[in-house]
Amino acid sequence: MPDNEWHDMLAAATGEVLETMFFTDVSGPAPVGASSPEPRVAARLSFEGTPSGALTLSVSEPAVRALAANFLGSEEDDPLPAAQLGSVVCELANMICGSLLSHVRTEEHFKLSSPELMPSGTACPPGQPSQSLSLGEDMGDGVSGGTIDLWLTLEQHAG
Amino acid sequence: MSFRVLIVDDSPVMRAFIRRIIVLSGMEGAEFLEASDGAEALDLLHAQWVDVVLTDINMPSMDGEELLRRLEADAVLKTVPVVVVSTDSTASRIRQMLSLGARGYVKKPFLPETLREELERVLGGAYAG
Repeated sequence: MPDNEWHDMLAAATGEVLETMFFTDVSGPAPVGASSPEPRVAARLSFEGTPSGALTLSVSEPAVRALAANFLGSEEDDPLPAAQLGSVVCELANMICGSLLSHVRTEEHFKLSSPELMPSGTACPPGQPSQSLSLGEDMGDGVSGGTIDLWLTLEQHAG
Repeated sequence: MSFRVLIVDDSPVMRAFIRRIIVLSGMEGAEFLEASDGAEALDLLHAQWVDVVLTDINMPSMDGEELLRRLEADAVLKTVPVVVVSTDSTASRIRQMLSLGARGYVKKPFLPETLREELERVLGGAYAG
């Protein structure tokens, strides 16, 4: 499958997860350079199957707080602890990866690793993200917008 | 009518989300028990009755597949309905889990009403809405 098809499927999977489980929509591709200056929370997981690969995602910190509040139903005056925010990002990565792989036409099971939170300051994969998306303008919790970057890496199989 | 749900998932935030969705979906009378893997779930199930089990597949220690095998091998516990709630929604995986005894399968991400409908279906007469 060509890379651009994978990237389109990744955007669709991200939108589906955010709308269904986080009550947030994706407004479209993020403007170039919109992601870099903010503090971000990142998680990574790998998967085995045909193909095998890995997904890394990075979300701007204010957006993580809003997404976590939507997911868990917490109130604005009851901020979630950092560990819980990290767990929400890991769960987001898990669901996006699962949703993406469910669209791959195969009879084979994919085995997903447990998502791992990347320590603050850890570099995301080199190069441009496979997808960089702007989140909806009204995310609740006093947050307007935010960005989510996703890197999908696939192992090449010989033959 | 009250009913007791055992949520089995290694992610505490996913367990919290499922609890919240069941409450938000308008199902009244739900009591919740939680386990972080299949082994913990079996301990709970041997100690107290539950009306339905919602389980993830991919968990450390004992995964959802092994949990289903153990429940099917137990003459009493095999009657407890199990619904798999998983990101893994390949057709072969769904067939496998149903063949192991799962009564239902909810793919993550899911809409609140999807989970409610599945719960109502497997609970049948035990839940009158």
